[in-house]
Amino acid sequence: MKPTARQLELRRLNRLRLIGIIVILITLLVIILAVENLLVSSLLAFVIAYLLGPLVNYLERNGANRVGATVLVFAAAAIVLALVALGVFPYIGNALAGLQTEAPKYISGFSKLTQDGENRFSEVLGPISNSIHPTQYIESTLTSWTQNFFDQLPKFLKQFFTVMLLGPFLAFFMVKDGRSILRNLLGIVPNNTFEAALSLLHQINQQVGSFVRARLLEALIVGFVTWVGLALIQFPFAILLGVFAGLTNLIPYIGPVIGFVPALVIGLVNGLSSVDLALLILVYLIAQVIDVVFLIPVVVAKIVDLHPVTVIIVIIAGSQILGVLGMIISIPVAATLKVTIGTIYRHVTESRA
Amino acid sequence: MISYIWDNYFRKDSAERNELEVLRNCYLFETLSKKELRFLKETVHVRTYRPGEIVFRQGELGIGMYIIVRGAIEIFIETNTPETPSDATLFVTRLVSGDFFGELSLIENNSRRTATAIASEETSLIGFFKPDLMDIVDRQPATGVKILMRLGEVLGRRLKETTLKVSELKRELKRLGEKTP
Repeated sequence: MKPTARQLELRRLNRLRLIGIIVILITLLVIILAVENLLVSSLLAFVIAYLLGPLVNYLERNGANRVGATVLVFAAAAIVLALVALGVFPYIGNALAGLQTEAPKYISGFSKLTQDGENRFSEVLGPISNSIHPTQYIESTLTSWTQNFFDQLPKFLKQFFTVMLLGPFLAFFMVKDGRSILRNLLGIVPNNTFEAALSLLHQINQQVGSFVRARLLEALIVGFVTWVGLALIQFPFAILLGVFAGLTNLIPYIGPVIGFVPALVIGLVNGLSSVDLALLILVYLIAQVIDVVFLIPVVVAKIVDLHPVTVIIVIIAGSQILGVLGMIISIPVAATLKVTIGTIYRHVTESRA
Repeated sequence: MISYIWDNYFRKDSAERNELEVLRNCYLFETLSKKELRFLKETVHVRTYRPGEIVFRQGELGIGMYIIVRGAIEIFIETNTPETPSDATLFVTRLVSGDFFGELSLIENNSRRTATAIASEETSLIGFFKPDLMDIVDRQPATGVKILMRLGEVLGRRLKETTLKVSELKRELKRLGEKTP
């Protein structure tokens, strides 16, 4: 059917509307990136919304209205978090204070280890190794890192509390009014791309939701197993190391190794016996075996597959842009982009097929 | 001949009604309570089309159905057979306020539109799509079941009509075959 002059005019208007919408979306993205703490708060809000949304739906299925169900679920989550915080914060505070006090000991201990290594290296290689002095460099770097960490801690805590207030606030409205917000947003999409846009949003929502829930559950279980294991072998800072192992587990491939490094350093500096060292390695190995054998096939099966080279490049890019946070969120962001591009590509090619 | 597939057997009247009334009077949602209808109204999408604007094109991927609130929609089929020129179109039917179309896409996976729908005047449509239906089934399963039961009835009715028509055509072909020496 050949398009009439009127239909061509309508197509031109639709194209203009589409450009307008893309401009609005880019402006929103720029605002989120430009306003301090807004990016992290929005990401946290999405994570909370994806976690609590299904609970709100469950209550709604059982007769509660949307507003009541949302208030109930958020209030319950706040109470649970407050109780956990009351129990865990003093412990983490003590652990951090202990770490601050003992940090110089660990740095000098670690330097001693590298010095021993350097001495052995010199014995083997002789004069060639005289030009290489890693100990001094490592010691100064570690001292500067530790100093920076504790200097930045108050600023980090301020940001942390801002994000912890803003994130749940945004998440509450995302869960309560998310559908009507999306419906209004779709209302301005031109008629000729409306169905495609609705289908795309639905698919992204489904896949990203499954992705976020699966990865968080995986991190929670790995962190918990590590904590319990370390507590059982009476290793110091068990809870901190457990939280760290859970968080770094969000980074594929290199995350578990990064998660293990602090425990290894603490163990080596404390002069662990070879049996204790084997037990420490065993704890981290068990957590990884549970992850690889049970969690990934059962829980994380819906995760979008990214090529290992892509993963490394994306993690490096993430760390360059946003530091540690960038490393953690780089994979979900890349996976979301992959889903979006894949869905748009499929839609375009299938529509033309 | 083809119009029997697109003709609305569930048409109530052609008077202009507001969206809630249109939903209430639509055969698919007749069994819903007032509360369920209000919930449905919060889920669906109201779209307006200018005269000549295409709602969907034959062969495009479709994810749902439309109910006409006001205005009219004309359905065309593009016939790209070796016997007919590639741009040949066949007018099928004209649908008016209260009618609905495209419901097969609500349940079919990767559904492709079997005809082209064009607004013949200033038209307002209610769009009800697969993600909306899934959302209703997830949040209010009882409402979802009511809609799905009616959807099954509608599709069953369409199938019955199609089967009857195919049988009729087969008989006609047989009769023509017997007549030919």
